[in-house]
Amino acid sequence: MSFRKRNIGLSTGADRTPAATSASQPQPERAVSSPTATPGVRPSPDDGRPTTSTGSPSLDNLLAGHGGLPIGKTLLIEENGTTDFAGALLRYYSAEGVVQDQKVHVIGMPQQWGRTLPGLIGPAEAADEKSDKRKGERMKIAWRYERLGEFGAGVAGARAPAVTLGDSSPSSMDDSLAKPAFCHAFDLTKRLTHPSIGNITYIPIVPTNEPLLVSIQKKLQAIIASSPPHITHRIVIPSFLNPTLYPPEVGQPENVLPFLHSLRALASSPTSRVTAMMTIPLSLFPRSSGLVRWMEILSDGVIELCPFPHSSDALSTSGAATSHEEPPQGMLKTHKLPVLHERGGGSDQNIGQDWAFTLSRRKFEIKPFSLPPADGDQEAQSQARSDKMPKKEDLEF
Amino acid sequence: MPSQPPLPHLLTPYISTPPRESLTAVSSVVGATGNWLILRFLYAALTDAGLRGVEGERKRKVVLGLDLARLTERREFAFVDGLSELFCGPTASAPSRAPSQHLASGPTPRTTLPTRPHPGITSLRQPPPPSAGSDGPPQITKDAGQVKRLRLSGNGAAALDALERDITAVIKQLKASGLGEDEESEVSLIVDQPDLLLAATGPSKGIGATEMAEWIIGLQQAATATVATISADSPLIHNASASAHHIATPLETEHAAFAIGLAHRAEMVMQLRNLETGAARDVSGVLRVSKGGAWGQRDSAGQETWEEKEVLYFVQRDGSVSVFGRGE
Repeated sequence: MSFRKRNIGLSTGADRTPAATSASQPQPERAVSSPTATPGVRPSPDDGRPTTSTGSPSLDNLLAGHGGLPIGKTLLIEENGTTDFAGALLRYYSAEGVVQDQKVHVIGMPQQWGRTLPGLIGPAEAADEKSDKRKGERMKIAWRYERLGEFGAGVAGARAPAVTLGDSSPSSMDDSLAKPAFCHAFDLTKRLTHPSIGNITYIPIVPTNEPLLVSIQKKLQAIIASSPPHITHRIVIPSFLNPTLYPPEVGQPENVLPFLHSLRALASSPTSRVTAMMTIPLSLFPRSSGLVRWMEILSDGVIELCPFPHSSDALSTSGAATSHEEPPQGMLKTHKLPVLHERGGGSDQNIGQDWAFTLSRRKFEIKPFSLPPADGDQEAQSQARSDKMPKKEDLEF
Repeated sequence: MPSQPPLPHLLTPYISTPPRESLTAVSSVVGATGNWLILRFLYAALTDAGLRGVEGERKRKVVLGLDLARLTERREFAFVDGLSELFCGPTASAPSRAPSQHLASGPTPRTTLPTRPHPGITSLRQPPPPSAGSDGPPQITKDAGQVKRLRLSGNGAAALDALERDITAVIKQLKASGLGEDEESEVSLIVDQPDLLLAATGPSKGIGATEMAEWIIGLQQAATATVATISADSPLIHNASASAHHIATPLETEHAAFAIGLAHRAEMVMQLRNLETGAARDVSGVLRVSKGGAWGQRDSAGQETWEEKEVLYFVQRDGSVSVFGRGE
């Protein structure tokens, strides 16, 4: 899609400059400058392929420099334990789709699920709030922030400076300000009210005379084939294979794997624009099993969430660098990233990093994880903090 | 960034001239996928096919898929699509277009036929350099109409036989169209992730490791040289062993049997895996080339131009690959 590629050069250029000065300006401008672009879809800064937002800026940044989930890719989110952090990610993803007027297809959940989508804070407001908050954070924990800012741009950077947006943290900050049209902020304590929320399709799990997943797949295919080609689709599969939702025979490889294969075929079909995100409970389907490994092979991206057990609250509290920062709630591992691993993998600096995630009312944040100095050891703590700056520079330059 | 030759020097002896009737097994894991290596196999076969005159940059685009459409027209390359409709069942499905491409015939007209019964299919056009990214795919899809799409229907060996017939039919076409010479062209066959068929069917459909192994043998007979990729993640190989702590599922036992059997019948086994020491910024993974179970059994044994080796590789963002020894 060459027309879009040309657009990006223009619109980012146009966006970025004003973005530095005023946060609310860029959004209308963008709409005017690229009327043909589909809402919520923008070219990847890495290679220009169209991407769409996951609804969570932090997760977007993690995806191998594309700044979003590339169209046609599927993301598998695995979660250990009984928590539902992955479900929150799915809700952001769905809410973003609703707000962008994309078509959201939810599998196996009743309509109530759609009513629990997080409320829209709105792009502009979010940006304001974010920049305010960021400024505040920056004063107090500059070293921490600097690293964070880099990870958006640095993903693309470091390896191939030629194609990056720029590797300095100021530009990545501009990006996050220019982004709202692409990605919105949501509030988990509110409920989403949006005119197009009624457009969500729910594909229930009901017994049919053909295998369940086959009928689901056919329905998906029919819906997508019958909608106009410019529509972007999001397929949401919460808690896939969870026995409280799915009958037990669905968990057999001969049912699951053809379904995932077909889903992938559907997503990568050049005639439609589809992304998919699904979550799976690892406690029931461990990664060490062949089935889950095959599911990973058949997914474009694989992310594992390992929430901290409740008893380690003490640890996680101390994990916050300052009292103003939310303590991490768990670890996040990236096993596979879309496109990057299809290419051969491994060259992204996000790979192998230890990430921690924090889910708060307004965002799902992913940050590098580091164990803090022991509590009470003020001397070591301040030393550690001053150590961080030079250390980071050594690494980066 | 220094640009890399399309075919890293260290790799050349291993992938450029697979001996006749040989099987090469390429194993990969989730974090170290083999698409880049398959592209190099393709490249090696296709550049042998008389594209030598073309300058470097252009050659690489061949690998990256841009010229595959042209090669397809010249009947030097054929792509069999195992992604789009493999599990669609007997009824026709929506007219989805296939990401497909393919082709290649050689100096002794050697033709490459990657079969990819696997989602990785799109990879053939996946790693375009940024400049080519926007116009690559449309070009390819123009030819979608000519692409054979595999569809699995029925049970057991009969279903596999049907797939085999589809694939050998395409191979025959390529052989017959060999530049008008009397003799038939040589055809290289790349089968990408045949293990998906095994995993996604299972004993209940009458397809097990034995049937799959026979299927591969059947395909091997149709082609001059065969390359097959397979997943070798630890759960898929080691869960089946007696020392595992829990009972292996049929998926795991069958997969392990198939993978190990394939390695035994291959002349060369190329394993891709992650670095044991964790992720690194300038290393994507480890490539180990070793002799397979069938090594040395042919008449020409002892004349192989390669030796067992373990090297590191790094896939750059533009899709180019550098291969180097440890510490280099």
